[in-house]
Amino acid sequence: MASSVACLHAASSIQAQGFKGSSTGSPNKIGAFPLRMVLKGFSLDVPLPERKGNCPRSLNLHVVRSSSSQSSIADPIELPSNSNSTDSQKKSTEASLILIRHGESLWNEKNLFTGCVDVPLTKKGVEEAIEAGKRIRNIPIDMIYTSSLIRAQMTAMLVMSEHRRRKVPIIIHKETEEAQRWSQIYSEETKMQSIPVITAWQLNERMYGELQGLNKQETAELFGKEKVHEWRRSYDVPPPNGESLEMCAERSVTYFRDQIVPQLLAGKNVMIAAHGNSLRSIIMYLDKLTSQEVIKLELSTGIPMLYILKNGKFIRRGSPIAPSEAGVYAYSRSLALYRQKLDKLEEMFE
Amino acid sequence: MASAATCLHATSSIQAQGSKHVFPLQMVSKGFSLDMQLRAKRKNFPASLKLHAVHASSSHSSIADPIEVPSNNNSGDSEKKSTEASLILIRHGESLWNEKNLFTGCVDVPLTKKGVEEAIQAGKRISNIPIDMIYTSSLIRAQMTAMLAISEHRRKKVPIIIHNENEQAQKWSQIYSEETKKQSIPVITAWQLNERMYGELQGLNKQETAELFGKEKVHEWRRSYDVPPPNGESLEMCAERAVAYFRDQIVPQLLAGKNVMIAAHGNSLRSIIMYLDKLTSQEVIDLELSTGIPMLYIFKNGMFVRRGSPIPPSEAGVYAYTRAAATQHLDGFSLKLRKLHHNCIFQCLD
Repeated sequence: MASSVACLHAASSIQAQGFKGSSTGSPNKIGAFPLRMVLKGFSLDVPLPERKGNCPRSLNLHVVRSSSSQSSIADPIELPSNSNSTDSQKKSTEASLILIRHGESLWNEKNLFTGCVDVPLTKKGVEEAIEAGKRIRNIPIDMIYTSSLIRAQMTAMLVMSEHRRRKVPIIIHKETEEAQRWSQIYSEETKMQSIPVITAWQLNERMYGELQGLNKQETAELFGKEKVHEWRRSYDVPPPNGESLEMCAERSVTYFRDQIVPQLLAGKNVMIAAHGNSLRSIIMYLDKLTSQEVIKLELSTGIPMLYILKNGKFIRRGSPIAPSEAGVYAYSRSLALYRQKLDKLEEMFE
Repeated sequence: MASAATCLHATSSIQAQGSKHVFPLQMVSKGFSLDMQLRAKRKNFPASLKLHAVHASSSHSSIADPIEVPSNNNSGDSEKKSTEASLILIRHGESLWNEKNLFTGCVDVPLTKKGVEEAIQAGKRISNIPIDMIYTSSLIRAQMTAMLAISEHRRKKVPIIIHNENEQAQKWSQIYSEETKKQSIPVITAWQLNERMYGELQGLNKQETAELFGKEKVHEWRRSYDVPPPNGESLEMCAERAVAYFRDQIVPQLLAGKNVMIAAHGNSLRSIIMYLDKLTSQEVIDLELSTGIPMLYIFKNGMFVRRGSPIPPSEAGVYAYTRAAATQHLDGFSLKLRKLHHNCIFQCLD
């Protein structure tokens, strides 16, 4: 554990408790104690080791991520601690990937099976999207992918309305030649200030076939409780005329691999706003989960999940903390530097 | 005037002041006033109010035709069911490019936080007006406006976006419960309701456009009826496809008694208003529909009657205003109609 350290710039949101005086009652001594942030179903363990002499104002953090009831562990960050490294490292192979599951929809509220029926968000779902946006306002985003359903698209737009960078998300229209022509932008500078938003049915929620629109009670009466449970919780048994989780995973992971990974490899920071099943399929791919593990995986609504793609590997960074909460902000050096730049920019305009 | 009475169901927002007397009510808003008379309560007429509605615009000469319905004491719901339907028009609020002063046209730019607020406020104003179908454009700012406005609606039916783009989309979005379908409001997206396409000006800021093309040219494109910007639409072209769609797709619904809401854009909506109010091309150029303020029309006996803008619930009643109260309530919208054909009967208060 001692060898893998990440040297991070101290960000203002880190409340360095016990830095100058710890709860143990011995001032000026920094003890090692683990910080534990527990989020809905996801926890982040950050032990603070003793302060080393030659590391100036930065904290040495050893970050290990574990999920609570799930069996996957992402690899710890391996960065050569190099005080002189600048942006060049970031430019090489690092990119952020944010996953956001949309919040409450009007049929969630009514307890109806939704699937691919295009139902919008409730007021609560709108709130959840705004809150999610606050959590990721400092993480760079160059491209957005979303499904063809309005609840995911609205979530993406509301999230971006909180973003600090002020680039404008623009939905790309390619459904017909006319749509493409009609939505053309004629200013290069404006294009540079845009974040393309690509809608893809492959990121849609799992299609629930003949259960769509039925409430959970009448479905149990119609088909029997065990059958319904099997459709909902198995990996490869589809409801009548619907998709199994396996089928959903196949089309969403294929899309992710073919369309989104190349963007990340090119260094683009990507956000995906989608649905429970399409996102857990992608997480299954990122974290190399088994089908048994993915069934138990629950991604919280409205809480963004951050991954870093580095040197071809996906590292789960957990869920960015809301601004009012104490905790670690910088998940990597480049993100810390990025945030510094944003801070400077804001100062200039104040 | 005595014979013209309309039977409307009393809703909670009508303050039935002095229902036993006849007195003129005048609602004055910025440039628009609504005259109503509450007739004496007839004996056999249960709890509903009879309203005689006459509209006048302030300094402008237009009057929508008064409603002519045979006053029938025994009339119950049957009168309403015959040929009356509500039509609500909502222009979306501030978009991210409005904020940046860029020509938007058909580029798919989302709402700002202010635009989101405007949609919610608009929704509060129409929360009591029945809606059976929603039409919107293919651009997210109008779709979000529709969804946010409906989230305030009292009726609690669920808007569902219809997907007809291909066979799979149609199949995947099917609902399998009749009762759920009955509790749904179909939302139809149509490119024909899109904003006027601004061609080579899309994405340019208003300043650089003036530098590139010259101030007068730009003014001509923006304010003429039939001169399109390069590779773009004139207002005439926009009106052609928007009104054709309205006539062919939406009017039949109104004729069938369906209450319709259209959430769209400045130019597509003013084109429709030009059709509803029989404006000339000169008049429509001067027409400005306020953002986020719903405009209500009643479709009755094949005629469109403009009802103005519903008042938000926090203010006194929708249709029943005393003269005194009216002068205090200046609704924030500005519907400017100049030199209209209709006769001006009532004096307009400023």
